[in-house]
Amino acid sequence: MKNKLLPTTVVGSHPKPKWLNHLIVEFEQGNLDKGVMESAFNDSVRAVVKVQELAGLDIFWDGEMRREEMTSYFAENIDGFTVYGPVRVWGNNYYKKPAITGELRYRDEFSLSDYRFLSSLTDRGIKVPLTGPYTIVDWSFNEHYNTKEDAVYALAEVINEELKALVAAGADFIQIDDPAISTHVDELEVAKKSVEIATKGVKAYIGLHICYGDYSKLYPQVLDFPVDQLDFELANKNFEDIKIFREHDFTKDIGFGCVDVHTKRVESVAEIKENITKSFEMVEPKQVYVDPDCGVKLLSPQKAFEKLKNMCDAAEELREEL
Amino acid sequence: MEFVTSMAGSYPRPDWFKLHLKKQEGSQKGVAGLIDDRYVKALKQVLDEQDKAQIQLKTDGQLLWHNMLCHLCYKIEGFAPGGLIRFYDNNMYYQKPRVESELKRKNSIILSEYLKARESGHDIKPVLSCYTLTKLSSNSFYSSDDDFLQALASVLNQEARDLADAGARVIQVDEPALLSADKEGLEIAKKAFEVLVKDVDASFVLSTYYADASKAFAELLEFPVQGIGLDFVEGKDINLKLIKEHGLDLDLQAGVVDARTTRMEDPANVSKLVSEITKAVDSDRLYVCPNMGLEYLPYVKAAQKLSVLSDSIRGGVLR
Repeated sequence: MKNKLLPTTVVGSHPKPKWLNHLIVEFEQGNLDKGVMESAFNDSVRAVVKVQELAGLDIFWDGEMRREEMTSYFAENIDGFTVYGPVRVWGNNYYKKPAITGELRYRDEFSLSDYRFLSSLTDRGIKVPLTGPYTIVDWSFNEHYNTKEDAVYALAEVINEELKALVAAGADFIQIDDPAISTHVDELEVAKKSVEIATKGVKAYIGLHICYGDYSKLYPQVLDFPVDQLDFELANKNFEDIKIFREHDFTKDIGFGCVDVHTKRVESVAEIKENITKSFEMVEPKQVYVDPDCGVKLLSPQKAFEKLKNMCDAAEELREEL
Repeated sequence: MEFVTSMAGSYPRPDWFKLHLKKQEGSQKGVAGLIDDRYVKALKQVLDEQDKAQIQLKTDGQLLWHNMLCHLCYKIEGFAPGGLIRFYDNNMYYQKPRVESELKRKNSIILSEYLKARESGHDIKPVLSCYTLTKLSSNSFYSSDDDFLQALASVLNQEARDLADAGARVIQVDEPALLSADKEGLEIAKKAFEVLVKDVDASFVLSTYYADASKAFAELLEFPVQGIGLDFVEGKDINLKLIKEHGLDLDLQAGVVDARTTRMEDPANVSKLVSEITKAVDSDRLYVCPNMGLEYLPYVKAAQKLSVLSDSIRGGVLR
């Protein structure tokens, strides 16, 4: 799917415009018509597309304007989930932790219309990120299935249906976000099987994004996952993990997180170039996709843009030098 | 049957109180909320929930705590907040505390919350944490883990004395990290507990959860505490075996319902589990409670969990 060296992309999320957050609150309080809300979401996606164009990215996503977080957004569109109320993530931040209360079944698309809308706005490449079945189940309560595995595999079937629908609609790059994998390394086999089920018969380039956690406990086993690309955060841990990945032949492409999303400091083009170059210690340049460590939604819109722009400029300069 | 029904620590904040705290504190800051009339209303609400579910030994629900560590740390001089990090295997995070200077108790830590809760007239159990707190912090000030732990224990000892003077007859110390401690860790933790409990007129329960106690059980029995807490959900079979094989000449705080799932246990099964436990431990030395704090649950599910607990052991009376 690559037609150029060091393609630049995002992991998924982008900061929501302030006006959108304001409208979401109004909508939740019943003060806003659904049609107005929809057009606000669409306009904010248009704005994100423009930002990604200006930054010079090669592969876009819609910035996840409709998603508040990465669990209940999917759960609310799949039969078998119930959301009782918010549960804390940290401090005063909560998420609507879903509970599996019945058999998990495909009800309605949960990313297809987002994909279609984005593809109507741009000719650039598109990557569709979806939370993996393992992570959704790990971040949900399970009241229905006897075991966690049963729940994970049932959800993987549901996601498989969505992925096939995405491919039928033209999607050729899908990213499975599975940050929970690194928190239960003893369940790596369950996670692997879930990815196998979710991607079965899905004819697209598949990436697997895992952030947070100790990669030494996943590697090299994670090379056996049936995916084309592994997407890791490297900048957050000062690229120290490269030595872990060098211990075995890195047989996949890598989504190389080269910009730290947890700091407001905007890395310079020269610094990011040096960061990207570090990937060549573990893989060939043709295996490298350039992206930030994770979604950039917690940054201010201005900082997010500056980081993405410098990242794209750095990749462009390196391309010329290689 | 004379065991006591008890809480293990946190209670989810009522939804309206979450919004109030978010307004008061913002989303980013680590500062704790105030003991104001909104707090008092929320406190009353969660004490009433515990009362309705016939919980005898209650907690204040740790309603102002942002997590198990920071609420204690940031009231102690010498700690500073660090980056966000996952709390065990939960999808829940804390700001990893850093020790930057000598630890000192300038003001009380949880005493004012405890006093407020006592005004309700209920029997309230305060919750502290010592070894676990040092294990999950980073220390660049003290030259050894031992020194760091001793310093913290000494600070907490002052707090514990005040809590006991304020009426706390049981003080719980949360120590999940002891379950994975090595011999040396257990040794220095035991020394720290000697400092922590010194001249405190209350009984201490060392509470563990998230796993079984197989690696630490024999050592824990030597700690200078009156009781230990074991998780009979996540470490059920092994913990049952441990108390049966070793016997237990201490109070036991038994976590018998799962605080990390909205799935409700069948009270008959919980009842069976409690009977198993009473084969090894005198029922008048037994506290039955959820296996950990309830804040992992949505608010509406916490009360239901407590009801399951009390339904399964009706007839328990306060000692």
